Amino acid sequence: MAEARFTVVGDTSRRLSVGRWLLFAILGLFALYYLMPLYVMVSTSLKSLDDIRTGGLLTLPTDITFAPWIKAWDSACVGIQCDGLKGYFWNSVRLVIPAVLISTLIGALNGYVLTKWKFPGANLVFALLLFGCFIPFQVVLMPMARMLGLLGLAGTIPGLILVHVVYGIGFTTLFFRNYYITIPDELVKAATIDGAGFFAIFWRIILPLSAPIIVVTVIWQFTQIWNDFLFGVSFSAGGGQPITVALNNIVNSSTGVKEYNLDMASAIIAGLPTLFIYVVAGRYFIRGLTAGSVKG
Amino acid sequence: MSSLEVHNVVKRYGQTEVLTDINISIDDGEFLVLVGPSGCGKSTLLNIIAGLEPLSDGRIMIAGQQVNDIHPKDRDIAMVFQSYALYPNMTVRNNITFGLKMRKTPTADIAKALDQVAELLQITPLLDRKPSQLSGGQRQRVAMGRALVRDPKIFLFDEPLSNLDAKLRVEMRTEIKKLHQRLGATIVYVTHDQIEAMTLATRIAVMRDGLLQQFDTPQAIYDHPANTFVASFMGSPAMNLIPCALQEKEGQLHATLSGPEEGALTLKIAAPTQALKAQTGSSIILGLRPEAISDPLSISDAAGTAQHFSCVVDMTEPTGPDTLTVFSLGGIDVTARMDAKADVKPGQEFRFAIDLSKAVFFNEKTGLAI
Repeated sequence: MAEARFTVVGDTSRRLSVGRWLLFAILGLFALYYLMPLYVMVSTSLKSLDDIRTGGLLTLPTDITFAPWIKAWDSACVGIQCDGLKGYFWNSVRLVIPAVLISTLIGALNGYVLTKWKFPGANLVFALLLFGCFIPFQVVLMPMARMLGLLGLAGTIPGLILVHVVYGIGFTTLFFRNYYITIPDELVKAATIDGAGFFAIFWRIILPLSAPIIVVTVIWQFTQIWNDFLFGVSFSAGGGQPITVALNNIVNSSTGVKEYNLDMASAIIAGLPTLFIYVVAGRYFIRGLTAGSVKG
Repeated sequence: MSSLEVHNVVKRYGQTEVLTDINISIDDGEFLVLVGPSGCGKSTLLNIIAGLEPLSDGRIMIAGQQVNDIHPKDRDIAMVFQSYALYPNMTVRNNITFGLKMRKTPTADIAKALDQVAELLQITPLLDRKPSQLSGGQRQRVAMGRALVRDPKIFLFDEPLSNLDAKLRVEMRTEIKKLHQRLGATIVYVTHDQIEAMTLATRIAVMRDGLLQQFDTPQAIYDHPANTFVASFMGSPAMNLIPCALQEKEGQLHATLSGPEEGALTLKIAAPTQALKAQTGSSIILGLRPEAISDPLSISDAAGTAQHFSCVVDMTEPTGPDTLTVFSLGGIDVTARMDAKADVKPGQEFRFAIDLSKAVFFNEKTGLAI
């Protein structure tokens, strides 16, 4: 569908007219503008501190050094601990994987129930879940802190996983519900007559059809949870903090000389996993977002 | 294979009653067609028989056993859906055997059943394909294969041919009929197409607005429709329903039609029933199939039942074997089925023969057959 190309007879748009050149020029300019911060980050992270002091913001490094990267990973000071980002990176990994999987699975089940096993009030439940998507992070901080305290999960990674799962269910349900509504009910009826029960239908028929929307949901949830700072800083403590919090601490806790190259390397390390996810699954993301709009 | 009984079935959604007191019963091996316009409740009734929807009142019996509270998978039924509802993620093989696997049938039995069905439906070469790689007709076969492989008591078909093009539809119709004759299976089949109903059924249930209009054999429904709705719904072109007055002249019952230009046309009714005689003097509706009005050669006068009249033809529709001719009679457009050789032209007067021996009479107000 996305590959469809049309060549219209007499279509002049393929010829490079002045307007076309202008368009490309403007688009190119915008692209440069958007790439600028990335360029500055990458080049700065590869410079020595001397290089940064003597050169300009946009100059290329005279001598490429990976020392800031190694330091950021291994020995940068986060607060008073000087073990680098690595521990926090793995914290984030240990947090993000279960949180994404659980919230995606619950979203899929919710979507399945809300479309294929409709019960009285199903639409109201869906509306409430949808409403949950619009609640700002800040509003849930206090009740969440209280709840985590009661559960004995305050300041732990499982606690943070729970927070992200709860906050993510609204979005994941929305995604799956809107996808499953395009799957014909007759499939479920046929499987029911074939003798499949609630979970058999879900595992063997519905879930295998869900690949595009699973990709969308995983990307969305991964990005949200990996990049989250507020929940991380509010509900985690000490060595259990996610990488975003650690990054903030590195940048803010440097004493004396401001190590821009270290800050930049740390920021890139913190951002790489989401970048990786987009590169690997990006095309499925677009495909999944438009799935259902066109019957395949 | 088994009998099916539907006793006083009622279905309500909130306050709205979508099925009212439906009673149908068929024997083992019968082919029941539920037919009616869209929204008449025929698919709802099928879903209730399947157990996919609960009923509000009444009883469903399969093979003499009440199944009201039995789960669809335990009713020993199989269903073919309008959209085929093939599992897109599975191969044809897995689509067909899914039901058996869910029932934990031994692998050897599954393979045997699959082979038989694939051969019967000639889909053996397709077994490893996905549904998306099949044509409409092939998908239809696979959907039937999925039902056949289970060898259920009753087959349920929900408008299975309506997604096919016209030619394929006729082919598959023939195949379904052959299949029914070969297997002797009990089948319930929903359609809005009255030709499918006539050609396939051993029994037809005509429905409208949640009410069963008539339940009978195809021929009986065609010849003796219970009311004007059935008369006009079944048969193509529809039965002519001509308003007329019932009068007695010289000891003979006559139907007087406010007729063509020259005035009223009066037709003799040869052998009226007692019920019809009782209506003497009132306005009734005369129901005549298009083939009961024709050219004088096509309607034999041997029995002395043919009567003749002349009328100006409005329009002709040649269909090949015969020519449908439309003219105005009794204030409505009447269709007659003529031999293709008949020399009939629009705008010209033509002498028609009419055979009242196959006429049906309806009460003008209630629409019920007299």
